[in-house]
Amino acid sequence: MGKFQQLKAVTCCLALCLSNMAFAGGPAGIRFEEISAKAGVRVQHHSRTFHGKNAEVLHMFTSGGAAVAVGDYDNDGFEDIFATDSDAGKPNHLFHNNGNMTFTDVAVKAGVAGGNDPLSVVSDALWFDYDNDGKLDLLVARFGTPLLYHNEGNGKFKDVSATSGLNKFGNTIAVIAFDYDNDGYLDLLFGNYFKPVNLLDLKDPRVLPNDLDNATNGGGVTLWRNTGKGSFEEVTDKAGLGKVTGWALDVGHGDFNNDGLQDIYIACDYGTDHVFINKGDGTFREATEKATGWDTKKGMNVDVADYDNDGWLDIYVTNITDEYMKECNMLWHNNGDGTFTDVSKETGTCETGWGWAAKFADLDNDGWQDLFVVNGLRSAGPESYVPLILPVITTPGLDITNVNNWPDIGNRTWSGYQKKKLYRNLSNGTFKDVSAEAGVDNDLDGRGIGVGDFDNDGRLDLVQTNADQPLLLYHNITEIRGNWIELKLSGTKSNRDAIGARVRVEAGGITQIREVDGGNGYAGQSTRRLHFGLGSATKIERLQIRWPSGATEIVTVPINHVTYIEEGRGVVTK
Amino acid sequence: MNRKPYSHFLVVLFLMGVLFSAVRASDSDYQEAVKALGAKDYATALRYLESAVGGDPDNVRYASDYRQAVIRSKDFDRSLQFFEKLVSAHPDSANVHLNFGFAYVDKIPVAGSITQVILANNALKEFTKAVELKESWIAYYTRGMSYLFWPKVFGRAAFGVADLKKAMEIQKSGPRRPYHVKTYIGLGDGYWKMDDSEKARSIWQEGLKEFPDNANLKARLTQQGDQLKATIEAGFDPSKRVDTDLRDLWANSNN
Repeated sequence: MGKFQQLKAVTCCLALCLSNMAFAGGPAGIRFEEISAKAGVRVQHHSRTFHGKNAEVLHMFTSGGAAVAVGDYDNDGFEDIFATDSDAGKPNHLFHNNGNMTFTDVAVKAGVAGGNDPLSVVSDALWFDYDNDGKLDLLVARFGTPLLYHNEGNGKFKDVSATSGLNKFGNTIAVIAFDYDNDGYLDLLFGNYFKPVNLLDLKDPRVLPNDLDNATNGGGVTLWRNTGKGSFEEVTDKAGLGKVTGWALDVGHGDFNNDGLQDIYIACDYGTDHVFINKGDGTFREATEKATGWDTKKGMNVDVADYDNDGWLDIYVTNITDEYMKECNMLWHNNGDGTFTDVSKETGTCETGWGWAAKFADLDNDGWQDLFVVNGLRSAGPESYVPLILPVITTPGLDITNVNNWPDIGNRTWSGYQKKKLYRNLSNGTFKDVSAEAGVDNDLDGRGIGVGDFDNDGRLDLVQTNADQPLLLYHNITEIRGNWIELKLSGTKSNRDAIGARVRVEAGGITQIREVDGGNGYAGQSTRRLHFGLGSATKIERLQIRWPSGATEIVTVPINHVTYIEEGRGVVTK
Repeated sequence: MNRKPYSHFLVVLFLMGVLFSAVRASDSDYQEAVKALGAKDYATALRYLESAVGGDPDNVRYASDYRQAVIRSKDFDRSLQFFEKLVSAHPDSANVHLNFGFAYVDKIPVAGSITQVILANNALKEFTKAVELKESWIAYYTRGMSYLFWPKVFGRAAFGVADLKKAMEIQKSGPRRPYHVKTYIGLGDGYWKMDDSEKARSIWQEGLKEFPDNANLKARLTQQGDQLKATIEAGFDPSKRVDTDLRDLWANSNN
């Protein structure tokens, strides 16, 4: 071997080693820079202020409404951000992406700042195109009745709540859109925390959970079918979801059994979660007992992804794991036979404190989805609230549903100052905590996560909302990363947002699946674009789309680009 | 002839007879239960064991075996209901309260996280009654360890240490039993939980002098930092079943 060949061989070997080091989370691992202030999105969230004897307790129990929704509402090719506030009179924020990683709050001008009126609390938000006109409309969920804003296409929105049919009061904390009956129109599933009583006009103080492990007096869920005529009708009972009476904190959807229909996972606080399988006739079958079994944990989040690239969607649920409560999260590995196995301990994703949102995303484009989890209930003074709760829990005969029986929290901390967790997928069925190296281990009281590629550079960025604290924007600055594709799908026969569409990508020796989701994850809707990391692969062997209508398409797309695909037409220009 | 003492004697004799026959009946029930357990016929075994414990409520062995059978049958609520009735019938029996407390502990691993707290608190109340009724090694050791299970935020480790010191005093005043090593481990762990590592080590070292082959003490004395923390905390994991089988008490004792 000549010197040149030797040098070439050594160089190749070195390059491969460096590449492997990078993909193994070595020195050139995932990195983020927090840029909320310079991007113009560092706004403070405020939980609702209550008045009277039980004010502090209700404030604490309703502190979950710091939400974010990511979506390109003006179709300019850049993802925008909607962020909620919750205190009376406080405006929501619509951050228009200026295309240079700065944003301008246009909520007031667009007509979507309102919602926190004296008797309603804004709690979540969702972009979805309910009338299939190609423009994202906005739903603002509330402890109250929801607000539906129609996107007028000129930077302004029109409040169409009054004619939407969405007129039922609920203490909604989560909402997702998906086409459960595959009629081409997006339906809405609401997760409701408290039972439907107005906490701001409380007649009866007995509104808290009747059991802290098996509560049955929550708000359950409500399913609203899109009539296709600009309105919705409630079909909860008809669809078979009326028996859920738990304290729903999050709802998620995905095709869990690979039959082309969207199934549901409901995460409930103070008791069991639920799995419902779509029967394809407009109804769902409860499959909890067989799928996951009944649990007593404090379910907070539902995110759905195929973390191990085995072709089956898995589910991640956060619970509470702290010094005084050891629940462990649940990473439900889909066994492909209608059952799931919790592998959170085995995968290293079990302990994330008082968990809230969690999102899967391939943050280093290596073809394996990583996991970001936010946590923390209330960071305040040095004393803990936990010992004060003990008598409430253990006094025989004490009515724990009565808000007046709970002690005031004052300036006490409750599961506060918790470090956020970023787990890198090691591609071997385990994850590694890289939070500190990645620069995301803040200790704010996290609630929601929105994932999106705000500068279209192929690296997914993160928005983190926090209760009574400022919003954070983490710009992905990972230096050595893999190739990627981002696909924005548009349905024609299927719903226009293509929610529920599944894409299967074969590249670099692995097969990945993603589904367009309609708001999975607590208090956070991520980009509707499907992002795939490809590692060192420079071409895609096969890319197949299964549309919600049932049609399938094979398309060819360029790597390291955002590509627009329309049902039946393949790749189209933006 | 004064007939009163004679009649008293008859009454005492009668009561002794009743007691003896109850104990004999209990023993016979216990033997039937052992047979049923061998056949994994838990329904029959539990019935006989309840009869045995009911006839001889102070018998630690019967009650302990009953609870172990309940653990195998997973019918924890039945056990709690049984002991609840038993304590109301025998409110002055320390052993009944002790076993009632253990029955709560036995249910903890299968309960939800908040129910675990309620069960642990109920257990502690029963252990306290047992201590108040009869000061003994088992009563102090049990309540002391029960305190140590509570997370630090509740500040109960000091109570645990106080109880375990009493248990230590009691064990040092009598013949040495193999199970006494548990007090050294528990007391050391208690000091460790109170952030007094030095005192913890001295207790473990003292224990190792008495029980030089004990692996748990050796592990604590050879480990540091996170490894030691993991070893100690593994013993206080509410999701893991606590060994509440009291057979050591009669297997290693002349009493």
